[in-house]
This record gives sequence, C-alpha cells and structure tokens, in this order.
Amino acid sequence: MTKIGLEIHCQLTNLESKLFCTCRANYRGYEPNTNVCPICMGLPGTLPRLNQKAVEKATTIAMALNCKTPEKLAFFRKNYFYPDLPKNFQITQLNVYGPTSIGLEGKVLVDEKEIRILRIQLEEDPGRLIYEGSSEKTQITLVDYNRAGTPLVEIVTEPDFENPKQVRLFLNMLSDLLENLSVSDPELEGAIRADVNVSIQGGKRVEIKNIGSFHDLEKAIHFEITRQESLAARNIQIIQETRHWDEQRKITISARRKEEELEYRYFLEGDIPWILIDSQTLDRLKNDMPESIISKKERYISKYKIPSQVAEVLSSDKFYSDMFEQVRDETNVKDVANIITTDLMGLVDTKEKRENSKLTPQHLVELVNAIKSNKITRTAAKIALKEIVKSGKTLSDVISELDLVHVSDASELTRIIDQVLSEEIIAVEQAKTNPDTINYLIGKVMQKTKGNADPKLTLSIIQKKIQT
Amino acid sequence: MKCLILKEKIEEVAKLMRIELDDHVVYLDRVQKMIEYFDILDEADVESEKLSVQELPIKNLREDKHIPYEERIIDTLKNYKGNYIRAPKMI
Amino acid sequence: MNLAISGLKYIEEIKNGNYTIEEFVSKTLEQIQKLDGKLHAFLSLNDKAIDQAKKLDKKIQKNEKIGACFGMPISIKDNICVKGTKTTCASKMLEDFVAPYEATVISKLKSEDAIIIGKTNMDEFAMGLTTEFSAFGPSRNPWNHDYVPGGSSGGSAVAVRALECVASLGSDTGGSVRNPASFCSVVGYKPTYGLVSRYGLISYANSIEQIGPLTRTVEDLAFILNIISGIDDKDNTTVDNKNEDYLSEIDAGVEGKKIGIIKEMIGDGADKEVVSATNNALKKFENLGAKCEEISLDMVDYSVAAYYTISATEAGSNLARYDNLRYGFDFPLEGFEFNSYISKARKNFGPEVTRRLIVGGFVPSAGFAGKYFLKALKVKSKLTAEVNEAFKKVDLLLAPTVPIRPFKLGEKIDDPIALFLIDFNTVTANLTGKPAISIPFELSDGLPIGIQLLAKSMHDKALLQAAYALQNTVHLPEIQL
Repeated sequence: MTKIGLEIHCQLTNLESKLFCTCRANYRGYEPNTNVCPICMGLPGTLPRLNQKAVEKATTIAMALNCKTPEKLAFFRKNYFYPDLPKNFQITQLNVYGPTSIGLEGKVLVDEKEIRILRIQLEEDPGRLIYEGSSEKTQITLVDYNRAGTPLVEIVTEPDFENPKQVRLFLNMLSDLLENLSVSDPELEGAIRADVNVSIQGGKRVEIKNIGSFHDLEKAIHFEITRQESLAARNIQIIQETRHWDEQRKITISARRKEEELEYRYFLEGDIPWILIDSQTLDRLKNDMPESIISKKERYISKYKIPSQVAEVLSSDKFYSDMFEQVRDETNVKDVANIITTDLMGLVDTKEKRENSKLTPQHLVELVNAIKSNKITRTAAKIALKEIVKSGKTLSDVISELDLVHVSDASELTRIIDQVLSEEIIAVEQAKTNPDTINYLIGKVMQKTKGNADPKLTLSIIQKKIQT
Repeated sequence: MKCLILKEKIEEVAKLMRIELDDHVVYLDRVQKMIEYFDILDEADVESEKLSVQELPIKNLREDKHIPYEERIIDTLKNYKGNYIRAPKMI
Repeated sequence: MNLAISGLKYIEEIKNGNYTIEEFVSKTLEQIQKLDGKLHAFLSLNDKAIDQAKKLDKKIQKNEKIGACFGMPISIKDNICVKGTKTTCASKMLEDFVAPYEATVISKLKSEDAIIIGKTNMDEFAMGLTTEFSAFGPSRNPWNHDYVPGGSSGGSAVAVRALECVASLGSDTGGSVRNPASFCSVVGYKPTYGLVSRYGLISYANSIEQIGPLTRTVEDLAFILNIISGIDDKDNTTVDNKNEDYLSEIDAGVEGKKIGIIKEMIGDGADKEVVSATNNALKKFENLGAKCEEISLDMVDYSVAAYYTISATEAGSNLARYDNLRYGFDFPLEGFEFNSYISKARKNFGPEVTRRLIVGGFVPSAGFAGKYFLKALKVKSKLTAEVNEAFKKVDLLLAPTVPIRPFKLGEKIDDPIALFLIDFNTVTANLTGKPAISIPFELSDGLPIGIQLLAKSMHDKALLQAAYALQNTVHLPEIQL
C-alpha cells in the first residue's frame, strides 16, 4: 500500500507587496538586491508589517480547499542559520496553541480519491543563493535577497495519494485553482514548489526535497517507490530520512541531516499580535471567491449543454472562461464555446500572446453573430480572428480590408465555379472518376473567392455540374 | 550525574547557537548556575494557566501596496560583491 | 545660564530669549568634555549639534515655526537607530554598524526639533544591570564614581543626572530604564507595552520591552512621552492612545486614590534602608490623601526566573541575525565554511551576551521547553492575572525600584544570580505589560534610592499624576559633579 504526501509551497505572486514589507511580491526581473528594504534584509531594529491582502488571499485558498479557517491566526518563529535567511529565523505558522494557522482539515477530490489537507500556513520565502565557481572549488556563496519575504502559502496533505498519477492530477488542479482565484501565476518560474514523502507497505516515510518541476516530481516518486520496493524485497529496513532529488542523475540521494539541525526552538512571534478574522470578513471573502473550476464545468455542461471536453477546456483556464462569460448570451453559447476552444486557442496559447492580444469580448460577439447570419464563412472568420488578435481592428474593417465578404448568393458562386471548370478542363475530366480531384477544384474555387465560398455548397454545385 | 548531562547538553546548544566554546569554557559554570536557578519554576502553581495574548483585527493590517525603498540599501552594507552579498561557502 | 534645569524650563528660557539654543548646546558639550572622560556616559557625539542649533536659532529670529522641543539636547541609548550614526549596542559585533534608517521615536523627536546630542553607553545588547557589560567600558555613577550607575541604560541615566543632556531615551526590558534611573536619581519610565513604537529599537526581548525616557522631572517625562507615543504602522504591536496628552492635569494629585504596596518586593531580599524609604513614600502618599494597603502577588517570587527564561529565548532568536554577513565588523570570509565563519564571528559577543544566548538556546529546546520556557510563559500569564486582580482593588501599585542600594563596580559582576535578583522588583511590569515609573526619593549614604509605581495598562496618565505628586514631596540635596 503506497502512501504519498505532498508539501507544496505556493508564492502569492499576484500580490503587490511582500508579506512583511512593501517591496514587490513578484521579484522576477529585478537586478539582485534591488527589491529590498531594511525589513526584508533583516537589519537590526526592523519589525515585520503584516500584509492584509496576503492573509485574505491565503484564507481564500484555504476555503477553496475546504479547510476550516480559525478565528485567530498566530505566527511563530522557526530558528535556524542559513545565508538565505536574513534574520536567521523564518516567520511561519504552527498549531501548538489550538488551531492558529490559515487553514486546517480540508479535503479535495482527485480522480474519485479523497485527499485530505492537513494544514495550510502563511509564511515568508527566503532569499536565493548562488554558488560561485564549480561545486568543488566554490569559495563564496552569493546571496540575493530580492525573494526574501515573498508571501508563501504552504499546503501540507496527508499521505493519501496512492500513485504518481493522482499527484499529477492534484497539482494540475491546484495550479488551475490558484490561477482561478487570481492569487498566483503558476507559470512563473519557482512560483509553485513541492516536496513529497513516500512510504510503502505501511513502512517508514521518506521525504524527498529539492525537486525542480512537476515533471521531475513524478519521476522522483516513481524512483523512490522502486527504490523502497527493492529494499523491501531484500528484507532491508527502509530508514526514515530526508533525501534529495538529483536532477542530473534522476535519483534520490540521502541528505545527511544532523540531529541538532532539527531543533528549531519554535515560539510565538512577539512582533505580530494574534490576528482576528471577523465573520464579516470571512463572509466577504467567501462571496468574493470566484466560482470554482468544477462548478463552472458542471454549469457549462448542465446549463448550456456544452460537450464535456469543451467544458473541460473552457473551465480550467481562467482566460478562456472569463472570455466565455463576457461574450455568451442565450443564443450563442455553444458557438462562443466552440470558437474559443478551436480557432482562438491556437492564437492565445502562451502568456506572451495573451498579453499582446488586442481581442476584446465585443470583437468575439460580432464575429459569432457574423458567422451565424452567414455574413462570413467559418474559414473567413478564422482569418478575421487572427487579424483582430493582432491589430484589434473592428470586424467590419477587417472584413473589408481583407475582402472577406461571404459569397452567399448561389448564382454568384455558380458563376465562379463555371469559370474554374472552364479553366480546368483536364481536372474536370479526371474528377468524374477521381474524388480527390474534386477537392483540387474546390481549392481553386476557394482561391478565387479568397476562402469565402461555402465549402458544402461549392461541393454540391461542382458534383452536379460534373455529372452533367 | 545531573551536572554531567547538563554540561554535554550545554555544549550541544552552544553549537546550535553558533557559539564557539573552546575558550568560553570558563562560562559553562555560570550558564549552569543560571539554568539551575530556573528550577524554581517547578514550584510555581501554574499548570492550568492559559496563554494571554495581544490581538489585532485583520482590518488594521497594512494595505497591500508596492512602495519601493528609495535608497540603495546594498550600498550601505559591507561585504558585497557587485550587487550580491557575499557569504562563506556552504558544505 | 544653568544646565541644571528641567526641559520645560529650558523651553521657557529659549522662548523668552534669555539665551540661544546654540549657547545652551555649547555649554552642554562643554559639560560633556569636562565630565565624560570619567563618567563615560557617551559612546559617540553628534558633531553637527552646533550647526543644528544655529539653524534653529535662525528660525526663531525669523519668527518661523519651530518644533515643541526648541533644540533641547537629548541623548539616545546606543541600541536605538539614528540614521547615519553608529549604532553599536555597546558591542564589538556591531562596532562598525551605521544605521541606514531612523527609528520612529527619533523621527518624532526630530520633527519637534529636538537635537540628538549623542549616543549613550549601555550593557551590551541591553543584557545587564550595571553597564559593566558594555564592550567599551562601564559608565560611572555621578553620585560616586566608584559605584555602578545601574543598567542597561546606564549611560542615559548618567548623562541626564550629570547635566550632559536634558533628557534621554533608553530601553526597558526587565528594568533597564527604571533601575539606572533609581541608581542615579533621575526619573525613568517604562510605558504600557505598545504605547511607544519599537521600530528602530534593536530587539533584545521584543515581547516585553519598550523605549522609555529618562528625565530630571516628571513633567519633562510627560512632555517627551507626548512626542514619542502613539500608534505606528511600522510596529504591529503598538496600540492607539488616541493622542492622549500626558502633561495636561499632571498636578491632579492622588486624593482618594488607593495604593497597594507589593509585599513580596519589600521582603527578605530588600535592604533595610530601601524598605524604610518605601515606608516613607507610603506615608507621603497618605499625607497627600491616598489610601495605602498591602497587596500580595504570589507569582513575583518566580518572576525573575520567568523573565530570564523568556528574555534569553527571545534574545537567542533576535541576535541570530548577527552573523557578520551584511553588517558588523571587519572579518574577511575567505577560507571559511559558513557555520565555522559565523561561529568565529560571534566570538565578538561579550561574555554575558554569550551566556544568555546559550541559555536562550537551551530553555526552549526539545525536552526542556516544558520545564523552562513553557512554564515561564504560564508564570507570565498568571502574574498578569494576579496584577489585573490587584488593580480591581487598588489604582496604583508601589514598591522600591531596586531591592538594594547602588553598589561598587566589580562587586557583583561574578555572581549571576545576585545580578539577576537586582531585577526582582522591576520585571513584573515588563512581564505584565503595565506602565511603571521610578522617581528619585531618598539618598542613603550619598547613594540614591528610587520609588516605583505601576498602573493599569493604558493608564499612563494617572501614573504620571501620582508620580508628580510624590516628586513634589521630595527634596534631594544638590549633586556635586
């Protein structure tokens, strides 16, 4: 019986400021040690100034994971020496005086399996270390405190996962959830980090740290299960320990952890009073929570009769679901869902493309209406969409500039088809016996109509004409 | 016996606190005296005592706003290289 | 021009044009020149003081608005950050540290045009009761140079008593403002916890310490408290005192007030002269219309152990940041590994700090926390409950500030428990967060004895009124400086 648990650290990158000072929460892109102040550098005499929104956002995450949220929050010091820790202690949360961390005893469903959330705590990220020179010749460590003090939410699960697949699904769900709540951008490098613990057959738990990506996480779990199974098969004891994931060699190695290093001398942080979260605030946070992804998906399927696959894509990506909600009305729901998950997707599948996109909900509304009223064909719409995303011009401008007007008049289309057939005498002959050649002819018609001809109509007219 | 255990533990603790003890050995006695004085706490009748704490409503906390620190702190600190703080190597 | 005046009197003199700020500041600097070689109250002086005085004098001449302090020379304990000045905590560990930012209390004083005349000596990192643990040499009691001035804010008390400044800011963690105030016969104050911002105070035991003024009169103290108190968003532990004015109605008196004398603080550990002085103080209060009774606080007997356990634990954590990587002293790191470097660097802590750090690593550690640290927290809670109960019966609590009279330099430095017990009467106010004041009361064989008063949390105004009433019954002889 394999048991896997996770300890996930999520940066609240969407906050404006750090947990205890007004430096920027998202430190990426800064020159080293320029996103710092006396507080996050741990200068003598400085005191932490707790960020209200960080507490609110962390509470929201706890609620989204169905946790209990205590009325009073307390902060503690975890004392140890390390160069990335400016004060040589970390301000974090514990539950030694009753429930005082951001969230406790939550649960989520992953692939039909219930995963229990043991606790959620709010704490500060340390700085970053750079080792100068190769690891053998390293003389100096360089420290960058830009990241020190970034708000972190630590989520600890019970060892309820049974296999790496469940872990992967959970992490994907969590990423989507964090994005949906607008608390964190999981795409940012280092925004979500996870440690894992693994035990087999009710044996000792082995913790694995230093895993760089979710991809590696799955590998690490597989490796560790195999390692433990092979030890068990030879009747060798599995020791309870912390191991490090070696990215190069793709194995876990024992991290020599000395007894004394685990002595953290935890005690209450005297510079931060216990924070009272009143019921009004809790209600407001609950009401302001955006709809969960699961709820959205269910609503799309049951209320709008959107196919499950499409609903899945729409609901799990905030960019798409926001767009969908803004554009849809009673008449065009299915068409909007369709166009977003087919034509639009390829045009805005990266963060950069989304940032550069000039598409507005209004554009989509017009586009969908134009298709429905046969003003332009689907093919033309695809072209128009690409241009709109790029330039932001109105649909009518794009239609006239690119000459995308739909040829809906059968007689006009027949005239063009006649033209093509007269130009392609050999192809017409071949088309009588070879269906592929019909496609060639349709292609020619498309060329002449700049892709605007209705393909179904064109095919039926050509087929009729060829018979005669 | 108690004294011996205490001395070993004290040496352990000094290491934990990153205090080098070799020529500080002379202080071990005084540290021991201090800790032994604290045994008086055993006599205090406080088992049921609850913690008394200071409280702060969430709405009194700092607004989430980015206000950069106007000065270049790194220039006022010693021991930096370019933009980095230098620390000794880690084993 | 007399240096031996109160701050309020000084302001009056300046307003009346009897002398200029520059003249007074000059004379103050001369006084420091004359006496500080012996007294060693100061660790550093402000070499721009005269310039600042001149600028303020010009403002007065031009009838421009000037702050309430009118250039009053104030000294600051060297664990409070004054931007651009060395802030050493009297430690070799920070001997080169120049504060790049300013403490809130300093900003407040400067915005009222106080002149920071210099930084004063202290026990290293505020851990001590005699200023003998300063890494830069002790300060001496102005009443008798062979005697300790008290600690840890010894330099501040000396500077105020020896007319080297008009007022000073110290810090009080277990009695560190009140104790030297008592030993040097000045007024020393520990505000209600949270009344004064600790932003910029280099932490020793952050859950129980406060910045507190030392002055020659109670009115001066109220005046300074008005300036430095108030909620500060840079310190989450500060409370809103709604801009209370501590100076107005300071002469309200104590008619009808009930005063409780803390029985445990005039027990066997107290000198008989100190007990007799305390009884005199009680008589004086009765003559002023107050009613006195005896109050017993059981937990006082455990308060010293609780205090040192808690403060050592917090110090162990608060001083962890001194690893000499970002600030500190000159010590190249080439050739060292991280843990051995910082262990070597931290040998620059003095012996008392080193001892307290070891204690502070021990008492909260696994296996011992229950017996020591957690027990101490419970004593703290119960003591707070007892004091709150007492304040249902009385308005003020009274005790001698220090159970014993001032003693000679070197006399107690080797006896850790004897040193601890000097705090016996003062730690209660810190552990319970209550405001407390020491008022100079008597001399015994030429050495001062101070009387201490405590009040309910946030009742600092009432406390100062009672202190003022007692002060006016006191007539100490002139000090020979």
